Amino acid sequence: MSLPVKPGFDPESVYRAYLDGLLAHDRQQCREHFKQWLEADAGLRSIYDDLVRRSLYEVGELWERGRISVATEHLATAISESLLNLTYPRLFAQPRNGKSAVITCVPNEYHQIGGKMVADVFELNGWRGYFLGANTPVGDVITLIAEKRPDVVALSVATSFGLAEVIRAAAEIRAAFPGLPIMVGGQAFRWGGKERIERLPGVCCLTDLGALEAWIKEHGNHV
Amino acid sequence: MFDRPDIAAALHTYMQETAPVLVLHLDAQDQVIGMNDPARRVLRAGAVGRTLAEQIVDFNHTLDLPALIRQGGTVHRLTLSTASGKPETLGFRFFPVSGGTLALASLDFQEQVELRDEVLDLNRELNNLTRQLHQANAELRELNQLKNQFLGMAAHDLRKPIGLIMTYGEFVLDEAGPELSEEHREFLRICLKAATGMKTLIDDFLDLAVIESGHLRLNRVPVTARELVAGAEPIARLVAEKKGITLLVEPTDDTRRLRVDASKLQQVILNLVGNAVEHSVSGQRVWVSSRWEWQEIVFAVRDEGPGIPLADQVRLFTAFGRTGQRKTAGESSTGLGLAIARLVVEGHGGRIRVESCPGQGAAFIFSVPTEEEETP
Repeated sequence: MSLPVKPGFDPESVYRAYLDGLLAHDRQQCREHFKQWLEADAGLRSIYDDLVRRSLYEVGELWERGRISVATEHLATAISESLLNLTYPRLFAQPRNGKSAVITCVPNEYHQIGGKMVADVFELNGWRGYFLGANTPVGDVITLIAEKRPDVVALSVATSFGLAEVIRAAAEIRAAFPGLPIMVGGQAFRWGGKERIERLPGVCCLTDLGALEAWIKEHGNHV
Repeated sequence: MFDRPDIAAALHTYMQETAPVLVLHLDAQDQVIGMNDPARRVLRAGAVGRTLAEQIVDFNHTLDLPALIRQGGTVHRLTLSTASGKPETLGFRFFPVSGGTLALASLDFQEQVELRDEVLDLNRELNNLTRQLHQANAELRELNQLKNQFLGMAAHDLRKPIGLIMTYGEFVLDEAGPELSEEHREFLRICLKAATGMKTLIDDFLDLAVIESGHLRLNRVPVTARELVAGAEPIARLVAEKKGITLLVEPTDDTRRLRVDASKLQQVILNLVGNAVEHSVSGQRVWVSSRWEWQEIVFAVRDEGPGIPLADQVRLFTAFGRTGQRKTAGESSTGLGLAIARLVVEGHGGRIRVESCPGQGAAFIFSVPTEEEETP
């Protein structure tokens, strides 16, 4: 966990209070603690890793163990996503390196926060991350790629049902832009499927945000 | 199955405590005489003892509840007034029971799911648009910086050749002038006038580019409002008198000192006076005044010119946001003066505005918050 800069800022207790807010459907409480974290100057990356990602994983686990309802899980995601807007004035003001990525969720994929966080991680690393959103038709993705001419396109898939769509989308994008690297990632790969995706030419599979950052640092300058 | 006492008891407990169904027992007059716990949580206090009809929202007063109750098995969509103050639409079924009616009401599950999904979709869409807006703003800021850099470089590189054209043009006019015909001397004067106009434009571009790049440097010095206006007055008077305009200066007598960049604010005053004069005709008056208001010093430049239509006022302080009003002697200007004035005033943490009605002159007013220094 990143070290807080502001004296008196206790990330663990702020995290707990934030998570309690998510589970209690209390948007105001979450907002208050999110802002507290933001104003503690602990770094934007820390908000993504140590607050939003960690809390959503914990919410997901609680849902899987039947401790909370799917509605609570949906609401926690919606609250987190709306609070990410508070980071944007800082996130987008960071120095750019001229690289860009188009990130999208495949058709029938309605879980978009993971894809959006991928787009934001690109921004954190000096790239422009253009995010299209949930359930995006491949035609729209191809139109945006033609417009923005990105260095990479990333497809986000949260559920294993979406893997077939990812394969279809990757093939269509490959046909339209043969040299464009495609990356695929998301929660869908928690139970495997990586090898199947990586058999596609020019496609790599990154299973979490840490792997994405490592990829950006290692290969980002060569694409 | 439901006849079994243990199952009946389980169902009873469920219906009484947790079922997502409101169970209301009505007497023969449709008064509520009993309800389950979920109904108690949803309905307003005092629901028992009142008729069901009183607790239903009926905007048109057309509800015939006894008739609905008699229809029995059909599901009726009725809106209840609830304890939260929000009306809630439920599907009601009525069952005749001994001495009255049993009303069972529940939310339409399918409708709730659709509503939830739609709200989540809208929320996602809103968040995506918010992200795009922030991203587009950041990109526009970058482009604006690039534009300023380009403008600054272009203006800087143009200033030198323009200076050379002016200098050598003046040499030619001075030294070879007597040998030239009057027509050719006039050609040279036109060239010099055009070059002077171009130099003013380039200077304004440079000012604007520097300020917009965030490089406005304020050399703050302690000064009174009277001193500030007095510094601009001689040139302002010259400009006004040249066109037969009377300049009336009404500075405040307050001797408190401000910490401002005097020369930049004097430029603003001169710019406003220049505009006022350009839109006035001989014999009219232009006022320059200053006064203290709370913790601000307010300067105003007022004229008796044709005024500015409301539609033009909104873009007046943007680059090239000039009005459609013609200047009275066909004077030319760069269209950047008011934009620069606004940036200088805002650089001081102040505000600038215009008050004007067509035909009644215009007043340009700017205020600067004081980093006040009391006179010892």
